[in-house]
Amino acid sequence: MARLADRQAFERYAAEAQARWERLWAGDHWVISVGISECSIAKGALETYRHLELLLAQEGIPATLRRVGCAGWCFAEPFVEVRAPGAPPVVYGNVTTDRVPDLVHALKRGEVKSEWALGARADEPFAGVQPLSQHPFLARQRRLLFADAGVIDPESIDDYIARGGYRAFLKALFEMTPDEVVAEVKASNLRGRGGAGFPAGIKWESGRRTQAWPKYVVVNSHEGEPNVFKDRRLLETNPHLVLEGLLIGCYALETPYGYNYIGGEHALAVERFQEAVRQAYELGLLGDNILGTSFSCHIRVRTGGGAYICGEGSALMYAIMGQRGQPRTKPPRSVEEGLWKRPTVLNNTETFASVPSIVLNGGAWYASLGTEQSTGTKLVTIQGPVKRLGVAEIEMGMTMRELIFEVFGGMREGYRFKGVQTGGVSAGPLREDQLDVPVDFDSLTELGGMLGSGGFVVFDESVCAVDFARYLMAFNRYESCSKCNPCRLGNPALVEILDRIRNGFGRPADLDIIREGAKHIIELSLCGLGQVAPMPLLGMMKAFPEEFDAHIREKRCPANVCPIREAALVAAGDD
Amino acid sequence: MANRIDRDEKIDLTPLLEVLANRFRPRDDQEAYELIVGACQEAQRLYGWVPPEAAQAIADHLGVTINRVYGLLTFYADFRTEPPGKHFLWLCHGAACYVMGSSRLIELLRDRHQLVDHGVSPDGELTLHVFNGCLGVCDLAPVIQVDHHEYWGRLTPERLEAAIEALKRGDRLEDADGTAG
Repeated sequence: MARLADRQAFERYAAEAQARWERLWAGDHWVISVGISECSIAKGALETYRHLELLLAQEGIPATLRRVGCAGWCFAEPFVEVRAPGAPPVVYGNVTTDRVPDLVHALKRGEVKSEWALGARADEPFAGVQPLSQHPFLARQRRLLFADAGVIDPESIDDYIARGGYRAFLKALFEMTPDEVVAEVKASNLRGRGGAGFPAGIKWESGRRTQAWPKYVVVNSHEGEPNVFKDRRLLETNPHLVLEGLLIGCYALETPYGYNYIGGEHALAVERFQEAVRQAYELGLLGDNILGTSFSCHIRVRTGGGAYICGEGSALMYAIMGQRGQPRTKPPRSVEEGLWKRPTVLNNTETFASVPSIVLNGGAWYASLGTEQSTGTKLVTIQGPVKRLGVAEIEMGMTMRELIFEVFGGMREGYRFKGVQTGGVSAGPLREDQLDVPVDFDSLTELGGMLGSGGFVVFDESVCAVDFARYLMAFNRYESCSKCNPCRLGNPALVEILDRIRNGFGRPADLDIIREGAKHIIELSLCGLGQVAPMPLLGMMKAFPEEFDAHIREKRCPANVCPIREAALVAAGDD
Repeated sequence: MANRIDRDEKIDLTPLLEVLANRFRPRDDQEAYELIVGACQEAQRLYGWVPPEAAQAIADHLGVTINRVYGLLTFYADFRTEPPGKHFLWLCHGAACYVMGSSRLIELLRDRHQLVDHGVSPDGELTLHVFNGCLGVCDLAPVIQVDHHEYWGRLTPERLEAAIEALKRGDRLEDADGTAG
């Protein structure tokens, strides 16, 4: 494939890709798409794919078998989308290998397996199958980043271009100045999706203002929190979207140096993003003098080695530079002195992925989505015993109750809702009576929770608040980089006190010691990890004080999880 | 745990040197530093751990000190500087798996198989990494990734015990999601 020389060449290429895309869906052959992503591979999607390939050949059905990305419905993996000639595509869920023969035979007879169907990609019900958009998981979602998830092949730049990809980059490159791009991002009030919620436009502006060369633009795809997987799904299902956002970022900063730092454990995400970069180079959307302009851009992909702290901005930059990923004191902020001591703009994967639609539709349009202070859409993941697990994209401002009980379907059979842990390992939980809070940056913070990167963990009555707090504290203890004392020594001390309480030797004064120690850790730690490390514990103590009380005063664990029972029996001589 | 001093097998560095020569060609010092972690990941992919010979080869190839390489190898949780057992268990200890009971699995491996995080079982069959993050297959929680490609999902202590037995016999566990189990 030759590099595209100018804008006309791209337009011609895009028109061809679009025509191919339309022919694919208009012909009198079958189109069968199988979702291949990390979660569906775990549930046997590759076997389903091979089985389909075999059966279609055996039955002599003229079909195009495609691989697509994940569509966020982890609960229905592996999924298969079938478009028979003259009918709208129907999506079937949980198609494991044993279901494949039944499915193919039914379809060959012209029947629709409505009991397995999630929905049809049509506006009207089709053969007893509801439109996909009315599926309870999707009905309340607003999908911008995930609009093409499960529709396009993530390893095909043609699919992405056929669906309007790289249009935003071209618009920025040919019709806008870098300052105008930054102005649009500022007008959109897009706030950083990694957790802190700092406005991206202001960051970009200060990056532009700093006088030093070269500058760097870095995507933070590290995502090391123990309860979030939205960035890796985004990279697996639409890597070009992130790449396009990064390209626009580089253009806005007028720099040819872009990086994507991806957690090493996200193997498929790394692979697909690297493939996307390779294809973009091949087509001339990366490299020197892109589409005949004076703008050049080179992207390097770097992988992490499994240290949560490397998601922190300054630690991430040290990690890229081949040093141990430990944060440093600020200021200077990284927009002044970051990678290789040069101005560096660092944003989350999801932030960059939101940029193309902002450039294309304008900042004002984006600002009209969501709430006034938290604009746009947010990818959220919910884990725990809920009915429909997965990644959802919602407009900011939906209440937590709607999110858990409508989008994600509420609790599974036999589980009772107890609470939902917010903000990963950096904030406290919400109780049932607090669920009417809107999901956005500021409202959750008021209640001691946090939007964070959008990972929420629902837990039920079988989980003990003290034990859960210990788990979260132990995570922070393990992941502390050991650079500064409050975090390195304080977190183990808190874990020890919690272990004392869990084992039935808690003292009433322990709660005060925890509060005092936590205060020191929060105020004296160097980086964001230490400053929020005790928050989940304080949050648990605030939300479930009666459970801490039961452990300490009554020497019993209401959820029957902690080893307190044996200890209490021994103490009472009751053995 | 196997001691590297007792190790009698020689490490064949040829495949690593080949990968380094083909894919790790830094154009300047900065890029050489950037590539250390990636080179170590390649070594671990090839050998299952990063032997001292490989670390030295990486340092020589990239022109960095061996201290720098070991500084990173010991900082990041993913790297092993001791030889692993025959099978590799990657136990997800993310919040979703915790809520669904992964702590009980860790206890079982410790009590019944003398297997702790980053350790090798006494019979040399199993290596365990407890992953302080999320494997991203939360629908299968609690979950263990086995030998980098297979998943054991919706585990209970009983199912895990059966799965380990099957693994040692060389059988495959049929139902990854535990629905039939």
